[in-house]
Amino acid sequence: MMAGAAARRVAGSRRAPPSPLQRAAVTGLVFGILGLYLAIVGILAMIHGRAIIVGVLTLGQATLVAIGLGTGAMIVRGDGEHGAWSWSTLLRSLFAGAIAGGVLALLVVAMDALDLRAIFIALSPALFEMLTFDLGLAGGVLVLIGGSAALAALGALLTLGPRAFRRHVLIGCIAVIFFGVFQELIQIMMQYGDIIGAVRETIYTWEGLTPEGAILIFVIATAISLLAARLRGGERSDAETPPAQRRNARIAKAAVAVLLLVLFPLLAGSYIGQVMMLVGLYILMGMGLNLEVGLAGLLDLGFVAFFAVGAYTTALLTADSPHALAAFTAIPSLSYWEAMPIAVLVSVIVGVLFGIPVLGVRGDYLAVATMGLGEIVRVIVQSDAAAPLLAGAQGILQIPKPWLGNIELSDPVDLFYLTLACAAVAAYCAWRLENSRLGRAWMAVRDDEDVAQALGINLVKVKLLAYGLGAAFAGLAGSIFAVMLTSIYPSSFQLLVSINVLALIIVGGMAACPA
Amino acid sequence: MALLEIDDIHVFYDKIEALKGVSIAVDEKQIVTLVGANGAGKTTTLRAISGILHPRAGEIRLGGESLADLPPHEIAGMGVVQVPEGRRIFARLTVDENLQMGAFSRNDRRAIAEDKERMLALFPRLKERLKQVAGTLSGGEQQMVATARALMARPRILLMDEPSMGLSPVMVEHVFETIRAINQQGVTILLVEQNALMALGIADFGYVMESGRIVLTGRGQDLLEDENVQRAYLG
Ligand SMILES: Nc1ncnc2c1ncn2[C@@H]1O[C@H](COP(=O)(O)OP(=O)(O)OP(=O)(O)O)[C@@H](O)[C@H]1O
Ligand SMILES: [Mg+2]
Repeated sequence: MMAGAAARRVAGSRRAPPSPLQRAAVTGLVFGILGLYLAIVGILAMIHGRAIIVGVLTLGQATLVAIGLGTGAMIVRGDGEHGAWSWSTLLRSLFAGAIAGGVLALLVVAMDALDLRAIFIALSPALFEMLTFDLGLAGGVLVLIGGSAALAALGALLTLGPRAFRRHVLIGCIAVIFFGVFQELIQIMMQYGDIIGAVRETIYTWEGLTPEGAILIFVIATAISLLAARLRGGERSDAETPPAQRRNARIAKAAVAVLLLVLFPLLAGSYIGQVMMLVGLYILMGMGLNLEVGLAGLLDLGFVAFFAVGAYTTALLTADSPHALAAFTAIPSLSYWEAMPIAVLVSVIVGVLFGIPVLGVRGDYLAVATMGLGEIVRVIVQSDAAAPLLAGAQGILQIPKPWLGNIELSDPVDLFYLTLACAAVAAYCAWRLENSRLGRAWMAVRDDEDVAQALGINLVKVKLLAYGLGAAFAGLAGSIFAVMLTSIYPSSFQLLVSINVLALIIVGGMAACPA
Repeated sequence: MALLEIDDIHVFYDKIEALKGVSIAVDEKQIVTLVGANGAGKTTTLRAISGILHPRAGEIRLGGESLADLPPHEIAGMGVVQVPEGRRIFARLTVDENLQMGAFSRNDRRAIAEDKERMLALFPRLKERLKQVAGTLSGGEQQMVATARALMARPRILLMDEPSMGLSPVMVEHVFETIRAINQQGVTILLVEQNALMALGIADFGYVMESGRIVLTGRGQDLLEDENVQRAYLG
């Protein structure tokens, strides 16, 4: 009887579950607001300039399509295990999709009626044209709402469809988007050789994929995916293979990946070397942020500040410019190898200082607070007050490249190896941390702060350590960034970088270090 | 002198006075239980002992030493350990890691390993689930993890908040048997319960709480036979 009372109490303390229709409305709203957000911060307009299939689909439009499909998929997911096909599902998807489209339609109407551009610079005429599909206001609104509803229904259907089928279609679509988005890279790689060149010309123009190319890629990718599934079907499934064998397979895969990473830039040349290097820097920062967000559960949108601190410290200590410390103090101009550890150390100190004011803040507020702090760092750097020291918006120029013995590491490929080496060391450290006492303490704090505390964990200490060590990774990345560009400007350290890194680790799976 | 003395504490949530002068004493090696209806202030009392809340007046002493103004992790370091309400295990850590977290303030590796073996002997069900993520355990198993985790700290006094909440009658039996067994191994226990019948049945001493005040105290058996208690809590 008592147990029953307790159970009732628990149930009573929650709100009554929302009705399916309410949930559909909320889902639609969430996706609509996601689209709204992308539009307002300018991402939508920006990626609209990027064609995936020339004259047919841009990345921006693909994003809108994804929002529509996602709404429907989410409706089905929300039904849980026993989600099955029914007219109600279809209706709810249509409804949710219409709401998602409606939110964007509202934006369009508002843009037509008011001069929103004065407040949100990204709400440009170009965005208006994109969102109305050049059909004018009324047509655009109709297409937005109707199209979104239809896409949501399609999304729901796809999610309910046989799993195998859905997977192959998805892989086909991803392949098309991949080839579309990374077209420059892929085209450069495909420049050599007659046959490859000919293939390139059929699937690409210089702006993106041709429609034929897109279809071709879709068909090939789907076919490969089907074939792979067929082949795999013959073998034992993953769960049944003995662990040792699975581990060996995993090590072999990792080894191949590492080998590819090491050799690839060498073959591909300096442009790709540079791109890969940027990727490497993001990975370094990702690992640092993962310590904070993934392990310790401290959402941090000001992470770029540590990156900036690492970069500026390196610049001030090594640059051959009037702003370098060596120019007006007795401190000698340091070599990169001397400056790097100092940059990391300074980042750690800033990380800890950064952590102190936000210690008591939790959850959503933490995101806002850290975002504010991150922006403050950039504003300070840009300000006139700090200009004599930090060069303001002009930035610091003439940062020398590092020397290894008497070889100057000037080629992006060389620097890529530097990044790779640092990333390897950092990955090892991150891995050790994750499996340490401290790592466990972080995870405990993430799962339940109060209980962790009541078990003897000093919250202040472990949180500050998370900020400090996370900052160390970003500082290292910043330091490499400085020598990569040989000049740094405050505008390189936008909020967007923090968000990108965060997106990286969310996609990579929180707390999964290998990602 | 009692091991734990709570001396006329007043605890507030902002302006709401949740504890209006509560005094409790727990002697070494005893089981003392605190029973009362929903919202009486039982959890609040335990949170005050652990240092998560600070009394505005009154004092809490462990072995004669005041705990006032100590942060929670230091109070835990002194051997005051909670099995919190609603279990609250670390859901994304494995059972093993949860147990290790219990021993966080300890450094004696060998003894920690021995204690872990003892916990697995006490809760054999956890043995085959050591590598399982704790959030996927059943409610009863989670209660075992929460209890074992607390015991891994080698507490001088164990504070348990409604360990039987939401469990089946069989599991409830098992929980109370375990509490008695733990106590017989020499651990002092302050047990908060809704299940007054069972709690008073195993307790040396009991306190009955109503809206922030202690309204009755006495030996466990005596309270069980008390008319008022019977009417209010035992139906
Ligand atoms: N965080 C809080 N903020 C404000 N008031 C609170 C808070 N936590 C508890 N209270 C109030 O304090 C009083 C005592 O609550 P407490 O949780 O100690 O009760 P309890 O005896 O443990 O009840 P239960 O058996 O339901 O767990 C209640 O009136 C409750 O509403
Ligand atoms: Mg309670």
